[in-house]
Amino acid sequence: MTTETATRGRRRGRVALRRSVTGWSFILPNFLGFGLLTLVPVVALFYIAFTSWNAFGTAPFVGLDNFRRLVGDGSFHVALLNTLYYSALHIPLTLGLALGLAVLLNTKLRGVAFFRTAAFFPYITSIVAIAAVWNMLYSPEVGPINQVLTSIGVDDPPGWTTSAQWSMPAVIVVGVWREMGYYMILFLAGLQTIPRELYEAARVDGASAWQRFRNVTLPGLRPTTFFVVVILTIGSLKVFDLILVLTDGGPGRSTLVLSQYIFQKGFEEYQFGYASAISIVLFLLCVLVTVVQFVINRRRDA
Amino acid sequence: MKRSTTIAVGVVTAAALALAGCGGGDDAAAPADGPVTLTLAGWSLSTTPEFQTLADAYHEVDPDVTIEVQEYDATNYDTQMTTDLAAGTAPDLYVQKNLKNFYTYQSGAQLADLSEVASTYDDSTAGLDFYAVDDGTYAIPYRQDAWYVYYNKDLFAQAGVPEPTGEWTWDDYAQTALDLQAGLDAAGSDAHGAYQHTWQSTVQGFALAQTPGADLASGDYSYMEPYYERSLRLQDEGAQVGFGTATTSSLTYQTEFGTQQAAMMPMGSWYVATLLAQQESGEADEFSWGIAPAPQYDDSTFDAPVTFADPTGIGLNPAVDDAKRAAAEDFLAFVGGEEAALALAEIGITPAYTSDAVTEAFFGLEGVPTDDLSRFTFAESEARPENPVSVSTTVVQNILGEAHTEIMSESSPVDPVLEEAGSRVESEAPTS
Repeated sequence: MTTETATRGRRRGRVALRRSVTGWSFILPNFLGFGLLTLVPVVALFYIAFTSWNAFGTAPFVGLDNFRRLVGDGSFHVALLNTLYYSALHIPLTLGLALGLAVLLNTKLRGVAFFRTAAFFPYITSIVAIAAVWNMLYSPEVGPINQVLTSIGVDDPPGWTTSAQWSMPAVIVVGVWREMGYYMILFLAGLQTIPRELYEAARVDGASAWQRFRNVTLPGLRPTTFFVVVILTIGSLKVFDLILVLTDGGPGRSTLVLSQYIFQKGFEEYQFGYASAISIVLFLLCVLVTVVQFVINRRRDA
Repeated sequence: MKRSTTIAVGVVTAAALALAGCGGGDDAAAPADGPVTLTLAGWSLSTTPEFQTLADAYHEVDPDVTIEVQEYDATNYDTQMTTDLAAGTAPDLYVQKNLKNFYTYQSGAQLADLSEVASTYDDSTAGLDFYAVDDGTYAIPYRQDAWYVYYNKDLFAQAGVPEPTGEWTWDDYAQTALDLQAGLDAAGSDAHGAYQHTWQSTVQGFALAQTPGADLASGDYSYMEPYYERSLRLQDEGAQVGFGTATTSSLTYQTEFGTQQAAMMPMGSWYVATLLAQQESGEADEFSWGIAPAPQYDDSTFDAPVTFADPTGIGLNPAVDDAKRAAAEDFLAFVGGEEAALALAEIGITPAYTSDAVTEAFFGLEGVPTDDLSRFTFAESEARPENPVSVSTTVVQNILGEAHTEIMSESSPVDPVLEEAGSRVESEAPTS
């Protein structure tokens, strides 16, 4: 009896081992790259942030100096506020429009595939091309947007990307336009999982379209919405390429965001220690927001 | 002429590469007086032939030494070089693309002291002083650009405005731009009086080089104010394309001047070779043009017009071994001299070394305007550095770059922006 159990136990152990080896071997190629190219640098970052490393030679340890400097650094404050400004508008607008588009394009419509593709197109277009085209549209004197505005009676149309007041809204518009197609696809996938019977039952009960949307669609999309919000938030907080090619942080510092400030301090001014410290702040910001979102989500689930 | 030069360069390049292939094998064991192969960093080799020109010219002087040019990306040159230096894989010799990052390399102990090489040069080689730190010299300049005013003689004639005299203050320049605009409008032309590119140096570089007492590290930038007021006036009165239009439409200065959209334009001397090439290829229109000295702060400097531009120099990687080091120093003793200067002038580069022979070689290029004013401009312009070497230069230039976009986009008035830039420099720029 006992020997039999032991043998079975050993066999089960061997099977478990073989299974985990198989599992590991499947993720190994990806994990190796991730570990070497992402994980190691990220771990190193946490050390570099406490040094004054300038790319050459040794990295002198400076304790909390870099973080103390952050507290009094005006440009860091500007970059942080601009990042929050961007996120505060970009997240709800993208979320709302992506959801709206998804609901609209989930109906049986002639040419729906065309419209879905059209909405997704900006996301797969080269960002440099997007920036060039939008900058032309935004051009204060010769751009089509301001020509339309002038023709409908706006006397003093905004300078868009060439004005410190309007550059951030201009960037947000392009950001929303570019990303809503991607999140629309996620919402479309989510909509397919909501059982048709629920809509039928709601209709039998006499629910209006709006009531069906609020009480069937939205709850059904909860897992998708949560995922979209988390990804969208992280993406907004670390926005970089779009701003770099569209305004390069200007005019002045009006669209300077954290990622770009990190790039500037690190790769233009070679203050890698200080740049790493800012990266840690951005990292903690992302972690904090994500944890809060998870907590809220769990509380709602309960 | 031009095409045959290109072919010649190509043939020599191929020969050099073949030789490099032969010589590469016994590289490590080579004695100091045997064949040596050195590596030199450059960028955009197909459009920037100067590195290969230097390498070939030196190979003719000393056939034992072969110089292989390694290509880097032009925009990310300094980032890539920093990475390679930190990793210990950088070439033996590397070009200092501008003075802005020179401090980073020098203070990071990535440049060998070349004082002995520097002592072989005299005053004819401009820009050596800019690479001097404490008692050492850390790079040898082979090229010294300078900013001129390029002007389109045809458009001046069309507008009925007299051509530059070589004795212009900035007020004369601004007035001429306005006159040109009026004349061109009257003649029914779409061209603008002037074009000012979007770079901060188009205003700040001149202001720093020309204003007495101006100091980039000081935190006091009020000296830039008159320069900005003039630029803003020209853009407000429509005599030059507005900053917003230039940035949003991604205008290039090559197109603006080369396709006769503007009658004159301040630009660096590198544009001479580009404009010649583009006129030949058809990218630029055929028209008659000339170069005039940069407009001056006042009339006291008309005989030796003050302008700006950083030198381009070559530094030595301190990690090279002794056998290579001797050969590299000999090469560096060559690049700032007359022979190298002649080879560079023949491909339209403005060498650091100046002499009558070099001027002749430069104006021997086909298509270069050979009038007296152009010759005077090339020979007599005195270029001061755009980025004086200091610990704070990169940070200060970034802050001033942001001030530039804020002022030129007319988001805020000039004075408060310059004052804010000053107080930012005091709080953000490193002092040691």
